Amino acid sequence: MLSREENELLTQTDSGTQAGKYFRRFWLPVLLPSEVPTPDCPPVRVRVLGEDLLAFRDTNGRVGLIEEFCPHRRASLFWGRNEECGLRCVYHGWKFDVNGTCVDMPNEPAEYGFGNKLRTTAYPTREYGGLIWTYMGPPEHEPELPKLEWARVPDSHRYISKRFQETNYLQAIEGGIDSSHSNFLHASLDAFRVTDSYVEKVRTSGTLRAKYHLLDKAPRFTVKKTDYGLVIGVRRNAEEDRYYWRLTQFLLPSHTMIPYEKGLAIHGHCWVPRDDQTCWVWTISWNPEAPLSEEEWKTIKDETFVHAKVEPVTFRPVRNKGNQYLLDREKQRTANMTGIHGFASQDQAVQESMGPVVDRTRERLGTSDTAIIAARRLLLQEIRELGEGREPFTARHGDVYWVRSASLLLKRDVEFDQGARELTKAEV
Amino acid sequence: MAQNGHNRTSVREEVNPGHIVSVQDFSPETLRNVIAHLKASSSFEHLVYREAELDAIWTITGFFLANEPASSLRDEVNRLHAGAHKAHDLVADRRPGAAATVLEALL
Repeated sequence: MLSREENELLTQTDSGTQAGKYFRRFWLPVLLPSEVPTPDCPPVRVRVLGEDLLAFRDTNGRVGLIEEFCPHRRASLFWGRNEECGLRCVYHGWKFDVNGTCVDMPNEPAEYGFGNKLRTTAYPTREYGGLIWTYMGPPEHEPELPKLEWARVPDSHRYISKRFQETNYLQAIEGGIDSSHSNFLHASLDAFRVTDSYVEKVRTSGTLRAKYHLLDKAPRFTVKKTDYGLVIGVRRNAEEDRYYWRLTQFLLPSHTMIPYEKGLAIHGHCWVPRDDQTCWVWTISWNPEAPLSEEEWKTIKDETFVHAKVEPVTFRPVRNKGNQYLLDREKQRTANMTGIHGFASQDQAVQESMGPVVDRTRERLGTSDTAIIAARRLLLQEIRELGEGREPFTARHGDVYWVRSASLLLKRDVEFDQGARELTKAEV
Repeated sequence: MAQNGHNRTSVREEVNPGHIVSVQDFSPETLRNVIAHLKASSSFEHLVYREAELDAIWTITGFFLANEPASSLRDEVNRLHAGAHKAHDLVADRRPGAAATVLEALL
């Protein structure tokens, strides 16, 4: 449970808010390069941290991210012409370059020289790791880009999808680090009921997750604070002398990684506040050692796991609140817990059902919510410290993101962070 | 408190602030375990575990109050419910010792 004040402190990220200032100390992913694919292509609207912005790629290939509305009469520059290294407002012809400088003001006498003095809000951008990132904070505090493994692998080793979610970012993060829901929300009915056929399937599948989730549905949680945020160790009973550990990272301000099993693709998320009521969900699948396999591409295309198909332009998932996520009650009766296809849509359905900003004063938490409690406390601590003038360490140390999730068997007397030390180092 | 909502007591655990106390009820034994762990807690991780335990006590006392309107323990459980909330907020404020004092007064 949180107090109302704490809930508001964590969930309000518009300009001028405490959490808004905190998020504005980090590089945030805002666009797929395919949204602004070529020089002088049409501009696109971008809403992030409650600000309405416009992205465009200029004649030289540079990506600009400027305030959507022309400072002259507040007309939208979305209607503008992207031409000769600048975006020209179609209302009175004012033109802005990627730095936000007004480079032409044809409706004013040249001798006034207004144009050279006028700037609109513009944020720096970087193309990195298959995404376009921006930094929206004070220039003197510009941070390092996070050296995330997925951002450093070749393009063929990685797939990134973007979707729009109708909840505050924090609800989405909490879903990403809540390990105990996967035995229920994402379970097939056979797994939930532990049928004979499921036991047989698990016995022959060879995946650690299926086997040990079956044996122990009430895992124990351990959290450790790290330079990058948190590592969350979830322990299940395995053989007599061993535990099965699944390690999830929460990397500040809003990245998470799903426990990885050696030899398979790794998956992670970044949850970026669009405003207080909605967020952008960036989902990344990567293989550090090889291009994504046919099987991995099939999982992505079939939307069975973390990716979901979206409508172009809006990035609203095809399965969404408006159509009840294409819920199939017959499937729910006979096949899986939810009757909704795919983990991503299942997560989105329950998270959006809580309302845009869940009232955390009314929760009934237990010890299985330890990871969620830890993430909230860490974010609150970071946000308050910034308010007291202490800059976030993580933002200025891109190297600390060089980690990887893990799942493994360890002897019962071995601390998980010691036992997994080698496995949790990123290699790329 | 002589009894609890689930009519069972938890096993006394050794004090290790790096472990989460098993909160299956709100018996005196459970409270004593939580208090002992509060007194030994200092790090970020310790305080997170204590907060989770107090959340759990608040949750199960809340369920008891909602489900047992005629219980003779209501006043006592009400005080514990409110005390768990207060202790929770003290832990959130990094004051585990003060939180332990609040719970001790309820034993």
